[in-house]
Amino acid sequence: MSANGARGAAPAFREDFLESLSNAAGVSGDEHRVREIVAAAVRDRVDTLEVDAMGSLVARIGVEGAGVRNGNARTNGSARKGRLPHVMLCAHMDEVGFMITAIEKEGRLRFRRAGGIDPRVLVGQVFRVGGAGVRGVTGILPPHLVSHTEEDKVIAADDLYIDIGASSREDAMRHVAIGDTAVFDTTYEAWGSVRKGKAFDDRAGCAVLASLVQERPPVPVTAVWSVQEEVGLRGATAAARRVAPDLAIVLEGTASGETPGAGPEESAPRMGGGPTLTVHDRSLMADARLVDLLRRTAAERRIPTQWKRPGIGGTDAGRIALSGAGVPSAVVSVPCRYIHAPAAYLDVRDARRTVELVWHALRAIGKEWSES
Amino acid sequence: MPTAIDVRHGSTADWLRHITSLPGVPGHEHAAAPEIARVFGQFADRVTRDPIGNVYGWIDGTGETPRPRALLAAHMDRIGFLVKRIEKGGFLRVTSVGGFDPRTLPGKEVMVHSKPPMPALFGTKPPHLQARGESEKVVPLHELYLDTGRPEAEVRRRVPIGTMVTLRQPPVDLLNGRIASPGMDDRAGVVVVIRTLELLRDRRPEWDVVGVATIEEEFGTVFLGARTATERVDPRLGIAIDVSHGDMLGAREADTIPLGGGPGLTVGSNVHPRVFEGLRATARSLKIPYHVEAYPASSGTDAMDIQIAREGIPTAVLGIPCRYMHSGVETVEPRDVDACARLLAGYVAGLASDWSVTEVLK
Repeated sequence: MSANGARGAAPAFREDFLESLSNAAGVSGDEHRVREIVAAAVRDRVDTLEVDAMGSLVARIGVEGAGVRNGNARTNGSARKGRLPHVMLCAHMDEVGFMITAIEKEGRLRFRRAGGIDPRVLVGQVFRVGGAGVRGVTGILPPHLVSHTEEDKVIAADDLYIDIGASSREDAMRHVAIGDTAVFDTTYEAWGSVRKGKAFDDRAGCAVLASLVQERPPVPVTAVWSVQEEVGLRGATAAARRVAPDLAIVLEGTASGETPGAGPEESAPRMGGGPTLTVHDRSLMADARLVDLLRRTAAERRIPTQWKRPGIGGTDAGRIALSGAGVPSAVVSVPCRYIHAPAAYLDVRDARRTVELVWHALRAIGKEWSES
Repeated sequence: MPTAIDVRHGSTADWLRHITSLPGVPGHEHAAAPEIARVFGQFADRVTRDPIGNVYGWIDGTGETPRPRALLAAHMDRIGFLVKRIEKGGFLRVTSVGGFDPRTLPGKEVMVHSKPPMPALFGTKPPHLQARGESEKVVPLHELYLDTGRPEAEVRRRVPIGTMVTLRQPPVDLLNGRIASPGMDDRAGVVVVIRTLELLRDRRPEWDVVGVATIEEEFGTVFLGARTATERVDPRLGIAIDVSHGDMLGAREADTIPLGGGPGLTVGSNVHPRVFEGLRATARSLKIPYHVEAYPASSGTDAMDIQIAREGIPTAVLGIPCRYMHSGVETVEPRDVDACARLLAGYVAGLASDWSVTEVLK
């Protein structure tokens, strides 16, 4: 069998990956639990599997020179005329979350946010703190005790605390340490085509990518599950240098826009509307040829697609694109409601179609992409 | 003289997790009543339900008939919402039944009690899509919406206006045995009644004791369930068991009692001094720690209406310390629930058949 099999059918989207990845805790800088799940899911399917210096997981399939540490795949590959382009697929493992910054003498935990989280979704919530997943809650004064002057004020994150039921600092410190991370205590669920869980940004992308590499892709692929996207697109910046791809496609869980009363501009993309393509966001002008290839592939395969609202958000693609001498990059996203909040929704059909679209786009890249 | 009665430890936490998980907002207590009646039936001699929905568990006393009756009331309704409108896209708008601080709601998961029930959540706008300054504004309840994720047609078909909605937060086990759960107010009180009935089954008082899970404490200007239950039972005294504000950051000591510190005993116009004194003497005798809570005017509990039902009833209020009341993370310590049950059982078991507060002066 050739290194890069030409079998036609796209691999199936693995919902079991999404479930275990969504339930796992992996705040930026503390992604190891997510990494272990991904590694177990792809270990038998990839040629090489490495953890880079920042903690990103790097898997190569059919990449020439793969397995040679610090080998430059680009140079090795370019030496041969007519070679297939080497594509980097990237999804970030980290989620927005919290870090414990102080344990007060009454046993309360103070925290700081990692990544962009609206303070208004932090009240009355349940959290899992530290490796042991100690449960804690963020309560506020009952309405009976709140003055009218206070009830119209948003409670700042710095004024909230996590109550784990500890009676004192010493009691709390038997279970929690300063520097422990915390996540929303949300459990994955399914009904109809809806999937509910935390951290779909970007465990949806992680699951799509882990599903894609269950089959040997039609072109050389380096799959990167990156760290620290939510705190400044950092892990992918380093990983892209190491991978040195010809092209990159970033897989994301992006914000869908539908809310009651939203106009046509605000309500795109919508959950269930298909994989979402980016023209540009705050970090990236997507490579027009690659976007066109994705759009044409979707049309040929009759996969519905939609467009992300331009100019909003940023992804790892922004850093990969400026890596080295530049990497043509695009983003394909699963539209999700309520990202960066305790529980998000996605439509599993969108995730399946995203796997299908990217798979067939890889085939199209193999057929038609040239670096001329 | 009250006798020490041992609560079988280890199961109060289970009762709390179970009973707080039952739905049942004001006016929709039928969602909880059958299960509460079943549990009452494990310990009571008789279980009855009246036409407006109160559930009674009766313990027969040992005194000569007609025996005086003690009414122990905890409300079984918990605060929640009712669907008031379905909007384009299938989004739901709700009205609250019971007092929420809307700041505790964005992002919370809920259960819409359609048939079958459907999970939903209070939708929020991700930071990426917010206008500058938007996150500094409190979203009032009428601007919040529920999202089931389902198609609009399905939502319209399955969710009639008026459908009950409850916070969907499984009980959370915290350190020191504490449990956070929506519905502690006042299902924790219902658990006190359950455990009290259990204790009294084995230690019969002279009086008949009637535990009642009342309706509609959290709604309206009259505590309908407590009033009608008192009319029906004709008790010689009535005690309301409800949650009291537990100690928490930002609350004054005067407004709270500490978690793990035992029952709160209310003094004030809503409580008859002799019942208060009797409870306090029992607590001292049984070495149950307690705190006195002073409410000069209104206790805000079922005792308000027990007191003025019929020709007037001597009342008391027993408070279970509870943090973060009226949120999805109402936090209670099971040993406080046990202490309340031991105190109540000890008190009513010590009541003599001729106990009365009315006096004939001439």
